[in-house]
Amino acid sequence: MLCIQQLAQEVSEMIRIFGRKDAMGKKASHFNRDQHSAAIIMVTPLLITLVLLFLFPVSLVLMMSFTNWSLTTPVRDFVGFRNFLFVLNDGRFWKALNNTAYYTGLKLIVDTTIALLIAVLLDKKIRMRRFFRIAHFAPVVVPITASSLIWLWFYDPGIGPLNQILKLIGLPALQWLYSEKTALLSVIIFSVWKGLGYNVILFLAGLQSIPESYLEAARIDGANEWQVFSRVKFPLLGPVTSFIVMMGIINCFKVFTEVDVMTPNHGPLESTLLMVSYIYNQSFTRGKMGRGAAAALILFVIIFIFTMLQRAFTRKEVSID
Amino acid sequence: MVKKLRSQYPVTIAFLLVSSALMIFPFAWMLLSAFKTPADVYNYPPKWIPSSFKLTNFEEVFRKIPFLRFYANSIFIAVIQTVLQIGISAMGAFALAKLDFPGRGKIRIFMQSSLFVPEVVTMIPLFLLAAWVGMVDTYTGLIIPGLNCAFTTLLLISFFQTIPNELIDAAKVDGCNYYRIFMTIVLPNSRTAIGTASLFAFLTHWRSYMWPLIITNNVKMRTLPIGLKYLVTETQSEYQILMAASLMAIIPVLVVYMLMEKEFIQSITLTGLKS
Amino acid sequence: MKRAATILAVFIVLCMIASPLGAQTKLKVWFAVSGDSGEAFKALLEKYDAMNDDIVIEASYSGNYADTATKVSASLVSNTAPDVALMAAGPLYTGARNDFFIESKIAEPDFNKNDIYPGVWDYAKYNGRICAIPYGISTPVLYYNKAVLDKAGISMANPPKTWSEFIQIAKTAQAKGNISGSSDFWGFDVTDVAWLFKTMLSQNDNTVIAVKGSAVSPAFNDQKAVEVASFWKRLVDEKVMPVGQHANAEKKFLSGNLAFLVATSARIARWSKDQTIQIGAIPMPYFQKPSVALGGNVLIILSKDQKIREASWKLVKFLANTENQTTFALKTGYLPIRKSGLSLPDAKKAVTNNQMYAIAFDQLDISWSYWHFEQMGTMDQILAQTIDVIERNVMTPKAALDKAASDLQAEING
Repeated sequence: MLCIQQLAQEVSEMIRIFGRKDAMGKKASHFNRDQHSAAIIMVTPLLITLVLLFLFPVSLVLMMSFTNWSLTTPVRDFVGFRNFLFVLNDGRFWKALNNTAYYTGLKLIVDTTIALLIAVLLDKKIRMRRFFRIAHFAPVVVPITASSLIWLWFYDPGIGPLNQILKLIGLPALQWLYSEKTALLSVIIFSVWKGLGYNVILFLAGLQSIPESYLEAARIDGANEWQVFSRVKFPLLGPVTSFIVMMGIINCFKVFTEVDVMTPNHGPLESTLLMVSYIYNQSFTRGKMGRGAAAALILFVIIFIFTMLQRAFTRKEVSID
Repeated sequence: MVKKLRSQYPVTIAFLLVSSALMIFPFAWMLLSAFKTPADVYNYPPKWIPSSFKLTNFEEVFRKIPFLRFYANSIFIAVIQTVLQIGISAMGAFALAKLDFPGRGKIRIFMQSSLFVPEVVTMIPLFLLAAWVGMVDTYTGLIIPGLNCAFTTLLLISFFQTIPNELIDAAKVDGCNYYRIFMTIVLPNSRTAIGTASLFAFLTHWRSYMWPLIITNNVKMRTLPIGLKYLVTETQSEYQILMAASLMAIIPVLVVYMLMEKEFIQSITLTGLKS
Repeated sequence: MKRAATILAVFIVLCMIASPLGAQTKLKVWFAVSGDSGEAFKALLEKYDAMNDDIVIEASYSGNYADTATKVSASLVSNTAPDVALMAAGPLYTGARNDFFIESKIAEPDFNKNDIYPGVWDYAKYNGRICAIPYGISTPVLYYNKAVLDKAGISMANPPKTWSEFIQIAKTAQAKGNISGSSDFWGFDVTDVAWLFKTMLSQNDNTVIAVKGSAVSPAFNDQKAVEVASFWKRLVDEKVMPVGQHANAEKKFLSGNLAFLVATSARIARWSKDQTIQIGAIPMPYFQKPSVALGGNVLIILSKDQKIREASWKLVKFLANTENQTTFALKTGYLPIRKSGLSLPDAKKAVTNNQMYAIAFDQLDISWSYWHFEQMGTMDQILAQTIDVIERNVMTPKAALDKAASDLQAEING
């Protein structure tokens, strides 16, 4: 995907729109009128859902963030920027942000690389391919109530299999979820296990859409497998990879349920306190909906900044022809 | 050349066997646990193989909670939501990817921003709206607020963009309107993408817990994830019934996966895009 | 004659149709308890429904305490609230909203308010005024694994009275009572850290919070509290209790890897049925004086309509009368809240047959609670975090408690 070019195209379109110039900076043709009308019809349902399920709630959240809305008592006073100042001055907020950044960075790197590797392997015509595929997708499918119980048992320092295996190899047992040094890491391992299948499928879909002819051409030209991968497959996977990374960043910043079931009460010394846990804690546990709303808006801005950064770093896709 | 390729396969298979084992290991434990008796569960060290393979736990599930009702609700809601979501997303994605119209970029950024908001944040405002229009304890209330199409739309945009514009322009010259182009050219060539998007949409809706919990009071309206939570006892120790229920809860997703997998296999035979 | 008869017949038929149609009141009841407790509560609701033709009860399980609180809050804002709710922190939804309807009703003679333990009434107050009916009340109980103590040669004929005596017993049990042969065998653990800590504070002349007028402030960082926290630290320092694994405590106990466990009395009903280990209980050890902190759920009335309120109150009275509340308690392990309940034959039988019930019921005499206040949930969380910090030796007890107090004060100040 010519991401930079696209970004430029969209920005220039926006400039054109805002500059009140002709929105279609190209030669006018009767195609454009058709495109307008078709577009309006095709985009409207999407817009309706966005307005109802995104614009409306977020506007309410915006309003809430300037009040001291309480979950239990009917208090509703305007307090200006007090909530934002509180959140930005709250040590726990920064701790949550720190933990979330660590979680996002590590999970993204591990998840994406392993998923890509597995997808490439699964793309080949090998025996038992269907079994392997479904095996890697299985963790995604297991309900989280069940998988969290399973992993909680795995991570049990006394009787869990992970420590048993470590003992067998002769390594010291770890505290996993019960030490502030390893708790977040343990949660990340669980998250990676749970989410890998998703990205494998996405990469597979991307790999499938690479025409066989390009791979043949490369091989005929004398490329070995690694070169086929690095010169043909990987560049053509640009759009999918970019998509996966972007969604990965967004989902990691939004993670909540996984962390909450593995470490209720935010883990040892609050080492698994992440952004949405912080928001939930403020809004629901402490009942300060206004503060939670302010924190949510700050999170929104942070994610926005990160996705902009990610787009800026994305490479151009190699043109097919 | 061919010999070189073939010699890599044993390594590949060995690697995949190891990684599959790692992925399935907990799943296997879940499968075995579904047959355990309470004595097996508390045993120290915990037993892997249950003492018997009777189906008592599975029967218990139906006795403890209205499992069938939850199951039916979940299927009904998830299917409708998936169909609606894919329909809305595919149309929107086509327009945003291939059509030129004012506000296109704005809508795209607007849509992407909707991904930045976690569910816990929109939950209460949405509930207020839903309650105001009387959607509490209704199927509409369960279905409509789950239609967050941003993810699937972006996914489909990503794939639709790989369809060459020449194809579309050629059809246009031939006199097709954009709806026909959408139905006869874009959709058939994106089966993998649509399949993937459908699978992900279905999975998201199937697993949804917080919204159904807050919008329903009547037990008859509730869904499977809520039902599974009922089975998590306070001690979290008697998990054998939960595991049995979870096994049964996985089936529809696996079915959807199998359906979608066929798309993968079919699209291999279509080398690239048909010209 | 015929006409008169027809008119009479029509009139009678109309009366028969009209009476249920006109007079049926629907009561929406939400409850935050599941499993045995849920079944027992639902049974009582069904009994009331059957006994009263003019009432229809729409009962629903609203999730665990946290989920129920969220649902009730949301429902209050959107006017879809239930009429009656059985939930934790009930006073925050009535008293904190200046709704003291229940306070006015309990004066009714047939409710017999003095029959309920005074300590238990404190658990249903906001700002010193009653605004809920205590219902599923529990106290922490010190359970032990009989097989472990047998193996260690410890007899519970004369249980330890103070915590310093107790810690020695726990150490012996840990050293000599390992029945499972595992390396992860411990002497003592607790499921709900904040609850036991508050219990210990109350035993050492500390009231956890101080109330002045309608203002609440933390009181858990004075010298007495530091003594308690230092003892807690001893438990981990002397390796009787594992650090930070309280979430696993119950599992450990039930699989035979723990000698003593402090858990809620609400487990008694389940643990009296076929269990893989034999469980006993002893009175809670203390510092200066015996005391246990109360926990559990209460009944509140949320409806605003006067007629429905009165109907809800009738239901609540029914649920909280001696016979029904005691039945509920005996089926679940929650405690009978009425002194008269303890003299019912079923209760007496339970006490003679089941030593755990005897211990739990006795603790009612020494039960204690502070009044509900808005930030109490936050306080529990802060206390749990503080204990975690103390256990892991990140801060000294005094420093940790001081920080906790200032955090809570900041939260109270808003």
